[in-house]
Amino acid sequence: MISKKIILTGSFGVGKTSLFNKFIYNKFDEKYLTTIGVKVNKKVITIDEKEVSLLLWDIAGEVSQDKIPNSYFLGSSGIIYVFDLTRPSTYKNIVKDIDYLKNITDEAIIKVVGNKSDLIDAEKLNEVRNTIMQPWDIITSAKTGENVTELFHSLGKAFIQ
Amino acid sequence: MDKNSGDQKDQILLRQLKDILLSEDRADIKALQDTLESYDLLSAHVSPIVKDHLQSFRNNYPEEFRKIVAHLIEERAKRTEESIGLINALIDDKAQLSEKVSPIVVDHIENLKQNFPKEFTIVIDKQIETKLKGSQDEILNIITPVLGKLIRKSIAHQFQMLKESIDRKIKSTFSKQGFFGRLFKSQRKNSEEILSEMDPVIIEEVYVIQRDSGLLIGSASKEKTLDQDMIAGMFTAIKAFVEDAFKRKNEELEMIEYDHYRIFIQNFYSYYIAVAMSGSISASEKGQIANRLYDFAESELKQIPADINDSLNSRISEKLKNYFFDTEQVLKSA
Ligand SMILES: Nc1nc2c(ncn2[C@@H]2O[C@H](COP(=O)(O)OP(=O)(O)OP(=O)(O)O)[C@@H](O)[C@H]2O)c(=O)[nH]1
Ligand SMILES: [Mg+2]
Repeated sequence: MISKKIILTGSFGVGKTSLFNKFIYNKFDEKYLTTIGVKVNKKVITIDEKEVSLLLWDIAGEVSQDKIPNSYFLGSSGIIYVFDLTRPSTYKNIVKDIDYLKNITDEAIIKVVGNKSDLIDAEKLNEVRNTIMQPWDIITSAKTGENVTELFHSLGKAFIQ
Repeated sequence: MDKNSGDQKDQILLRQLKDILLSEDRADIKALQDTLESYDLLSAHVSPIVKDHLQSFRNNYPEEFRKIVAHLIEERAKRTEESIGLINALIDDKAQLSEKVSPIVVDHIENLKQNFPKEFTIVIDKQIETKLKGSQDEILNIITPVLGKLIRKSIAHQFQMLKESIDRKIKSTFSKQGFFGRLFKSQRKNSEEILSEMDPVIIEEVYVIQRDSGLLIGSASKEKTLDQDMIAGMFTAIKAFVEDAFKRKNEELEMIEYDHYRIFIQNFYSYYIAVAMSGSISASEKGQIANRLYDFAESELKQIPADINDSLNSRISEKLKNYFFDTEQVLKSA
């Protein structure tokens, strides 16, 4: 079994902790308790009969990625960049943020994730797709669980290849 | 006094009036900004909830929402009235001056005095009405200063609750077993007890951790504790945070202390070793432990691959166990 570090990042209130909790405990909470500092947790998943241990770092959201201690990103194999599909302020810096993340890491796989898909209809989603300057990899809902397992498994799969 | 100079004085008085009004507003805004400034960071974190709540509140309770807005308008009108009272007093003070000023000006002032509250309120009402019809963001701009105080209260409350829940969690999670149980429980010990025990240094847990990623290379402990992968991650996060916070390029965190427990950190190139100890530790004992760590690293950790897996972990863990826990007199042998 191999171990890999994944870091969840993005602006505040976008649902990083919620995705983390949904994936690890299959729980969702409507309440918003902002993350202070970092929380680390672990989940072992099985992909093609191989086990991968994912060490997840859930960090406090920042409006801009360069405000986050650089060393948090070191040694991570995956970066999940989450934005909130319903709040434009959470994706207005997205191009700059992703550029920055690409610059400070060399091997990490970056997944761009639009969360809270349950709050937005197809038409509105299209609107966001047309305005956002950075294509996303997947849209999720920590509330309904849509694509949450898929998100983490897609990373796991990339790690064992 | 001719009409022209009267008009001029009229203009001047009007300008003065405007200044007085504006300066009132400016002072208000400044005060609000000041109170809010120190909470910027917090309110930044809270604003999405406030926004979400506001939205759902408005949808679910349109009637209440209207009432709140009406109340805000009323409050604002009250403040306006107060400012106007002030202005009136000012103007009355200048009665002597007014006498000399042309009757037209006096008329103007009288007129203004009488109609101002009404006109001002109408303007404000209109503004709020159009803003209400406008975007959510603008509504927030109107309401945020007022909500600021409420938010602050609620933050203080939330923080208190958070703190209490952390305290509770620490008590319940960490009191079960192992080092971390005692780590957090030991607060209650009085100094006499501690002295009477004259704790010898005891190594409770040893972790070898990949430096950047915080992934656990191997670990061993006297008693089974919580998930060691998670602890390794948290150590690394704390280390990263502290090192970043002090922005010291060539200095690294060496010790985390809690009560009379210590986590000693020895940095190597691609990994670090964290040793959790109990007991009171002297400088010379610290040196001994450092030496033991160097010895261990030299003999066992020369080739650590970048990819960490199970078999590496069990191999290193086994070695740690033999090296640190299978002999009774851990320190004496150093
Ligand atoms: N409807 C809906 N609400 C969500 C979803 N994900 C998160 N939320 C809500 O959004 C709020 C913020 O979620 P968090 O998971 O705490 O956000 P975060 O990104 O961890 O925030 P910080 O820790 O402050 O950076 C909470 O009230 C959640 O209940 C989602 O998929 N759908
Ligand atoms: Mg969070």
